[in-house]
Amino acid sequence: MVKVVEVSDSSQQKTLRGHEAPVLSVTFDPKDEYLASSSCDGSVVVWNIEDQTRVTSWPLLQKTNDVSNAASLCRLAFQPAAGKLLAVPVETRVHLYERGSWDQVGSLSDELLTQPVNVAAWSPCGRFLAAGAVGGLLTIWDVNSRLVVERQKHEKGFTVCSLAWHPSGSQIAYTDTEGCLGLLDGLSISGTGTGSTTAPAAKPAKGYDDLFDEDDDRLMDEGLSDTNSPVKKAAAAEDEDDDDFLIPSTGRVRNRGAILDDENSLDTGSLKLGQDKFGEDDDDDAGSSVAPAAAAPLRPVYDGPVPTPPQKAFQPGSTPAHLTHRFMMWNSVGIVRGYNDEQDNAIDVEFHDTAVHHAMHLTNSLGHTMADLSQEAVLLACPSTDDLASKLQCLHFSSWDTNKEWMVDLPQGEDVKALCLGQGWAAVATSALLLRLFSVGGVQREICSLPGPVVCMAGHGEQLLVVYHRATGFDGEQALGVQLLQFGRRKRQLMSGEPLPLSPKSYLCWAGFTAEGTACYVDSNGLVRMLNRALGNTWTPVCNTRETCKSKSDHYWVVGAHENPQQLRCIPCKGSRYPPTLPRPAVAILPFKLPLCQTSTEKGQMEEQYWRSVLFHNHFSFLSSSGYEVDEAAQTQSDKEQQELLMKMFALSCKLEREFRCVELAELMTQNVVTLAIRYASRSRRMNLAQRLNEIALEKSTQLQEDEEPEEEPEFSSDRRTSGYRQTEPYNTRQNDEQQEEDEEECEEEEDGREMETEETKRCLNPFAKESGLPAKPSLTPVGRVGRSNPFKVADSGKPTSSSGQARVSNILDNMRSSRKLAPLSGSAGKPSKGPVLKPLAPRTKAKAQSTLLQISSNKTANKKTLEAAEPAADLQKQPDTAAPPAENTENKRPKTGFQLWLDENRKIIIADNPDLDETDVIKEAMGRFRTLSADERLLWTERAKGQSGETADVKKRKRAENEAVESDESNARKKLSSLDPSSKLSAFAFSKN
Amino acid sequence: MDPSEVEFLAEKEFVKIIPNFSLDKIYLIGGDLGPFNPGLSADVPVWLALNLKQRQKCRILPPEWMDVEKLEEMRELERKEDAFTPAPSPYYMELTKLLLNHASDNIPKADEIRTLVKDIWDTRVAKLRLSADSFIRQQEAHAQLDNLTLMEINTIREFLLDSLNCMYKLRSNLQPGATKGQFGDY
Repeated sequence: MVKVVEVSDSSQQKTLRGHEAPVLSVTFDPKDEYLASSSCDGSVVVWNIEDQTRVTSWPLLQKTNDVSNAASLCRLAFQPAAGKLLAVPVETRVHLYERGSWDQVGSLSDELLTQPVNVAAWSPCGRFLAAGAVGGLLTIWDVNSRLVVERQKHEKGFTVCSLAWHPSGSQIAYTDTEGCLGLLDGLSISGTGTGSTTAPAAKPAKGYDDLFDEDDDRLMDEGLSDTNSPVKKAAAAEDEDDDDFLIPSTGRVRNRGAILDDENSLDTGSLKLGQDKFGEDDDDDAGSSVAPAAAAPLRPVYDGPVPTPPQKAFQPGSTPAHLTHRFMMWNSVGIVRGYNDEQDNAIDVEFHDTAVHHAMHLTNSLGHTMADLSQEAVLLACPSTDDLASKLQCLHFSSWDTNKEWMVDLPQGEDVKALCLGQGWAAVATSALLLRLFSVGGVQREICSLPGPVVCMAGHGEQLLVVYHRATGFDGEQALGVQLLQFGRRKRQLMSGEPLPLSPKSYLCWAGFTAEGTACYVDSNGLVRMLNRALGNTWTPVCNTRETCKSKSDHYWVVGAHENPQQLRCIPCKGSRYPPTLPRPAVAILPFKLPLCQTSTEKGQMEEQYWRSVLFHNHFSFLSSSGYEVDEAAQTQSDKEQQELLMKMFALSCKLEREFRCVELAELMTQNVVTLAIRYASRSRRMNLAQRLNEIALEKSTQLQEDEEPEEEPEFSSDRRTSGYRQTEPYNTRQNDEQQEEDEEECEEEEDGREMETEETKRCLNPFAKESGLPAKPSLTPVGRVGRSNPFKVADSGKPTSSSGQARVSNILDNMRSSRKLAPLSGSAGKPSKGPVLKPLAPRTKAKAQSTLLQISSNKTANKKTLEAAEPAADLQKQPDTAAPPAENTENKRPKTGFQLWLDENRKIIIADNPDLDETDVIKEAMGRFRTLSADERLLWTERAKGQSGETADVKKRKRAENEAVESDESNARKKLSSLDPSSKLSAFAFSKN
Repeated sequence: MDPSEVEFLAEKEFVKIIPNFSLDKIYLIGGDLGPFNPGLSADVPVWLALNLKQRQKCRILPPEWMDVEKLEEMRELERKEDAFTPAPSPYYMELTKLLLNHASDNIPKADEIRTLVKDIWDTRVAKLRLSADSFIRQQEAHAQLDNLTLMEINTIREFLLDSLNCMYKLRSNLQPGATKGQFGDY
């Protein structure tokens, strides 16, 4: 029985009786005159609708008793428009009957069609007939010529059960019995009639169940729903919205909802669906060519970049507002949960640390949708309704008075979009592009305009981070800007509207501060970026949460970050972007990892560790600069860790024979560690490297000194000046007191040593002095800092302050330590009797040891013969030194540095330029000029100076030979050393260390 | 060994808790615990977890195996296999009892879990009894007891040993030597 019902008012019903078994299909004649039906009783009947009579009947089909048993669905089709022909699928052919006469005028068949045809469908133009068969074969005939123009096999071989032509005639949508929908594309059959290329439209067929589980399928599903809806994007968006409504009604975040959120997150998707989603499809699933194909007819005429709908404002650490049970805020302080179902509209505030406050339960009569939580207060806000203004409510639970709550109405037409709490203040960004500040007690404070619609805000201590829409993004990108404001005593803007870098086609998911107060944020691609204050407030990616996800649809919902220890606190969400409120999710901890290259290699790992450590300890300097107390222990610990890493990297590069790299690494090290590196280098017999490192060590100490000077000079200027000389000064006096009986030679020798040292100190001012000795360097470190401060200043200060002993003691102790380190070296170099020397006069011998070592270096490199040039400088130093009668002699033996050579030549010029300068100033001036020379030039000079060394050694040796017993030990050693060429000396050094 | 002793041992097992207080590391003979950060999970022994829980200082996160689906799977496996399957935890029974008694509000579907664990326990103990029966019946000299937990061994040990002793005595009475003794009694 077939019933015809008038759809509009269902008033007219007509019944066509006659079928003896279930009806398989019916079809209207386009002129509404006839109706054709097929039935399981094997008949195909044409009815006259008006008369409700059977016009004709053909026993064409096999008889069955039920639709499920029918071999073919026998979906009939009238030719559109004129309705001249009726197509009836009969077994493997399609019979064509002429309208009116109901004679069979033809039959379409194809030798490839071996299984019953299920369904026939006319193209809109009526020229072509498509048939879908059991087994998945799609065939298209040109009806006039009865020729097959197109054959397509369903790639999974599922039975095609329905066909529909696109109104333009270029595509066919079909469904199969497994619940998949496919699209046959690129039918260019209009003209030629020959088989044309078909896009493989059949797409991965998946079962019904899958459709709702997996991302891909879901996307496909959507793509398809889009194809069916002639209304383009709007309809697609509606589809989305329909789906959305499912979520609130269940009140639970389910897979489906989560996936929806994937595209739709923060509702951006609902607007951008058309284009972007299809783009995504491409990425996600190459196999589903359906989606792009489907996109084709939908694509608007404008083909350029499409503006991205700006993402909506959100509270970092909250789940979407449409959920009935949601987190309104989850941060390091606690959790604010919102319930909004039939029985209850309430807010639960819970603190991680119950010591802060006990949990609270509030009824949410105002309909708050935003919340923030700090150690002091809970801030809530609701959007405005028709008759009520947008309200801001603050539960200031830490208040010591009895009024724990205040509320503020925003002006009419202004809505709260984002809010946050800091220490003692609350900030609200509104739809009027205003940033309103309140004190936590409710006093209105500053107000300022925002450059764009706010996306989110985060507060920490005195810092406020505001992310806003800088401009319109295109093609799925968001164009966000960021402002970082600092309140408190020094109010200022740390970042003024820089663009916020986001991963391609992503949006902001979370923004906030680490517990230490460094801004960081997470985008929808799971990339966590942190502010790098040391690099001009840039953003460094520190973690990719998606890397740790097991499956594609899993996400981590970030709730907080800590720099020390390095923890990213987040909640793993299976198959969604955010967690459900129940069961209560547990916080997991992810480690940070900088995305450096080749982190699988040892080198890459160490580099990553090092830079991560550097980055994550930036906050120390920030904290101290903003007046917080800093965990010193942690800081030193981290410094140590960094230096250790550097040393390891250094050793690794050494092993790999990468000496240049070693030097680069050394430049990152602190001075103390460089000395270690030097020792390592010399031990592994890399003399060249050691030498270069030595220069770095010098540079570093100079830098250090320069850094110190500006701070300390004003206060300790006199101290400092003399300190440069202290090293030698007391020694001299002592020498006078105690060693007068010693012969001239010895004095000379001692003096010599001392001179070396002053020389050294002077050279240290010149960071480019190439010729300074390598092995001596370690000993320089502690001394250097004091001893190297400008020795020329001594002349100015005039008097040697040997009385400033207190400070010196520490110097000497430092010195001792370092020279002790060195002792074995010199000992192995043939000087075991050094101990006794040390005993009687510890500080002095210290100086001696020092000088010996220095001498080694200077002997090696410097020329002692050329004295005249050095004299003035030396003189200057001598001037205050009343106890230096032998000084003049010894100067002859002083090594000559490149600077001195240069000075020789240029002194005249300098004096000519500045005739009124005294000796000291000349040197200063000269120093300055020498520094301005190019590195090459300086190198030239130092080379020259080196070239002149050598002969001096002999002179020295002769003298040393006559030395007294105690001194001879030392001088022997020195002779030995000095007679060797530099490299052998170094290797001796190296051996001794072993 | 009585069950309370086994339970005592089970209390040394670690569970995760989410404290709601903050405390530095605590140094105990058994090892360092903590540091405790509010909201961040920490591993502590069961005894401490229960203590903190009773003082409302923490939430206990159920162990991984304490999950309805996993337990159902185990139950099915246990029923299917003739031999013992590996227990979800060497102290599964004790932990279930302890945690469910004291922290059932932190464990989702506590009742189902209780039933499931009881099921598993019953299945295993039934198997144990069965195998003990066949052990005795077939007069085996030794038996392999893989995958048995301490508590399970403990439940059957006393009874089995005593009964074996008894049986040994009874059997040895049947021996000729023993009959001699009987004669001697006369």
